[in-house]
Amino acid sequence: MNIFLYLDKDTWVHRLDPRTKLIGVLILFLACLCFNHPLYMAGISFGIFVLAISAKALLNFWRVRFILILLIIFSAVLWPFFVKGPTLLCSLGPFQLSRESLLYGMAMGLRLANFVAIGLILLSTTRNEEMTNGLIQLGFPYPIAFAISTALRLIPTFAGAGVTIIQAQMSRGLDLKSKNILRRVAQFIPQAVPLFIYAIRHTNLLAMALESKGFRPGAQRTFYYELHLRRIDYAVMALLGLLLLVMLILRLVFKLGAVLPYRL
Amino acid sequence: MDISISIEDLSYTYPSNRRPALQHIETQIKDEAFVVLMGHSGAGKSTLCFTLNGLVPHFFRGKYQGRVLVNGKEVASHKVTDLSRLVGLVFQDFEAQLFSTNVELEMAFGPENHCLPRSEIERRIKLYLSFVGLEGFRHREPSSLSGGQKQRLAIGSVLALEPNILVMDEPTTDLDPQGRKEVLSIADRLRGEGRTLLLVDHEPETALHADSVMLLREGELIAKGSPVDVLKNQSLLESCGVKPPPTLELFRLMGWPGSPLDLNQSIETIQSLGLAKPEKKDWEKLSLKKTKGKPILWTDGLHYTYPIYKVEALRGIDLSIYEGEFIALLGQNGSGKTTLAKHFNGLLKPTSGEVWVQGKRTKDYTHREMAELVGYVFQNPDHQIFSRTVKEEVGFGLKVLGEDSKVIERRVAEALEIVGLEGCETKVPFTLTKGERQRVAVASVLAARPQIIILDEPTTGLDIRNQKNIMDVLRQLNRKGHTIIIITHSMWVATEYTQRTIVMKEGRILSDGPTRTVFADEERLSEASLQAPSLVKLGNWLGTEALTVEGIVEEIKGRG
Repeated sequence: MNIFLYLDKDTWVHRLDPRTKLIGVLILFLACLCFNHPLYMAGISFGIFVLAISAKALLNFWRVRFILILLIIFSAVLWPFFVKGPTLLCSLGPFQLSRESLLYGMAMGLRLANFVAIGLILLSTTRNEEMTNGLIQLGFPYPIAFAISTALRLIPTFAGAGVTIIQAQMSRGLDLKSKNILRRVAQFIPQAVPLFIYAIRHTNLLAMALESKGFRPGAQRTFYYELHLRRIDYAVMALLGLLLLVMLILRLVFKLGAVLPYRL
Repeated sequence: MDISISIEDLSYTYPSNRRPALQHIETQIKDEAFVVLMGHSGAGKSTLCFTLNGLVPHFFRGKYQGRVLVNGKEVASHKVTDLSRLVGLVFQDFEAQLFSTNVELEMAFGPENHCLPRSEIERRIKLYLSFVGLEGFRHREPSSLSGGQKQRLAIGSVLALEPNILVMDEPTTDLDPQGRKEVLSIADRLRGEGRTLLLVDHEPETALHADSVMLLREGELIAKGSPVDVLKNQSLLESCGVKPPPTLELFRLMGWPGSPLDLNQSIETIQSLGLAKPEKKDWEKLSLKKTKGKPILWTDGLHYTYPIYKVEALRGIDLSIYEGEFIALLGQNGSGKTTLAKHFNGLLKPTSGEVWVQGKRTKDYTHREMAELVGYVFQNPDHQIFSRTVKEEVGFGLKVLGEDSKVIERRVAEALEIVGLEGCETKVPFTLTKGERQRVAVASVLAARPQIIILDEPTTGLDIRNQKNIMDVLRQLNRKGHTIIIITHSMWVATEYTQRTIVMKEGRILSDGPTRTVFADEERLSEASLQAPSLVKLGNWLGTEALTVEGIVEEIKGRG
């Protein structure tokens, strides 16, 4: 069973240099911070959606659909309780619900979903090794770049072990459907301890295997997949940079795209 | 010829242990030799492998005395990474050593670490991928390969560093028979390559082609010699937890001359000396003794498709299991054995069709009810052990089921007695050996007294002593009336212990019947990429109903 996020397809996004993609992700993150009006945010979401289609990454979006929907719903419901806006709609005891805070909540929901979506496109189109390589070329120290990509690499492995552990404990009568919250906490231990021990064993063995193949953190190495910034990479970076600039001008100069101008 | 590995009075103790893992090892291995290393669990086999590439004493510190030289270099004074182009190490756990996102990057990892130019890396990927027979898989994700392919990739990725010495620590233990064959054929091919090969393995038949066999016991090297010399010393092998070749045992018990190590040698000797006559028998008529009990578990047109990726794992299983049966479920990895077994206790629910346990559909049971009817012991005991004491661990299921403490106490004691761990109640489970942890896992399922007990690979990774231990426990339970189902890759375990064998292939049942009958049809077995053990093949040739050494001896002597 495949539980990795990387999708081995051949699209222009896949072919981009990982450095371009990492910088692009940073720019898109910043772009999401430019506005807090749901319509503007939805515009960015639409752009990301189009990007996901052209990167053939929709399968992964389908896999995390519940997370995305939950993020949007939760922040749309919760944010209005914590921010105040001028146009009061109704008040419930200490809570005041305003038009602006409602819109702001929707925008925040979309923003969180956008963050996840951008990360998802990156992970769907970039191999772990490319990511490490790209991070190093961007000036990250090798041990840090390696730690990041190792963490990403190990998540599916541990998730797989987690499933087995849960099944093993369920076979012994562990009832995960219990409603009682105290019970649920108690049930956590039979799952967490074996997983924790598995993780230690697994990483220990991995460290031995890496060292046995001559891996030295921080030492010089060659890369079988060499990185090349091509014309399209420069074009993508320039375009995204320009887009961010336009957004900043809209927000800062024309004061557009914000329901609550004093908030990010 | 030159000396490739030289070990001089080596003793080593792990930092957390008092007992030395290796004691006064003194040996030399010549260039281009093929050496097989055997011994019981905890004999120091892995530790000895680690001393060759410097993981001992650099990764594992501790008390280290003596010297190890590889190609004249002293291991202790070189780093592991510096030795990696000289000594390659392949581990048992192929999941943990594969790290990259596709096959060619996995191959490139070692050469990249040594700063080889891209063209050279390319050359090595090509050369060694074809050597391990994976040319067509360059862009595949390692996790999508079969077990045998994964281990071959692990070997290839180590070979890409072109080490003079290749050390493989139980590379076949976790593999199905097909994968095992694939890996061993690589070992054979490596012989002509001018590399020194050290292989750790449990199966005596692997050792037949070696130049020499080394036996370890309690950290001491107690024998080294040609395969025939070492393997015919039955008491020595048994003291080292190694299974003596069964054909040798048969000849010894029959009082026949000669010491054949495999099937062909045995048949040749028997024929040339006229020791016994082959007989053709038809085992098809043999039927299961269903008088034993009533059906307890049955499936009806069972289909199962894994969600998301729509892999059809079970394609129409109709099967009845009777009270008191002892069943082996065989088949290659991916044939659907585990998926089927997980339906028996309701961990998986059929996509279509039905599974009935004691007259009720599995989907109508809760997990708790199921745990009292069908026990399921997972392959790796470490996937379920979490408690501070053995007693708590074994009693966990009962506690969840809401039994009171007196009942728990009694049943835990009972279960521990059955698995032979009485007296271990207050020990910390994590400090036990793998064999003991396996038995704790069995006890923790037993405590709930399920009528049916399913075990996934109960003998994998155990030495022969521990394998016999656990199987004897199961045999006892079966005699007490429990229905036992084991999923296994170990053919001798199936033939020696079970009455009924079910062979699966690609989600369907290929054959199902008395173990004797199923193993008589060698062609059908090979269709499922399985192979009868040499002893069974000899039994087929001789036409004996028995599949064990003692049984065959009795039958042949009875013939007069």
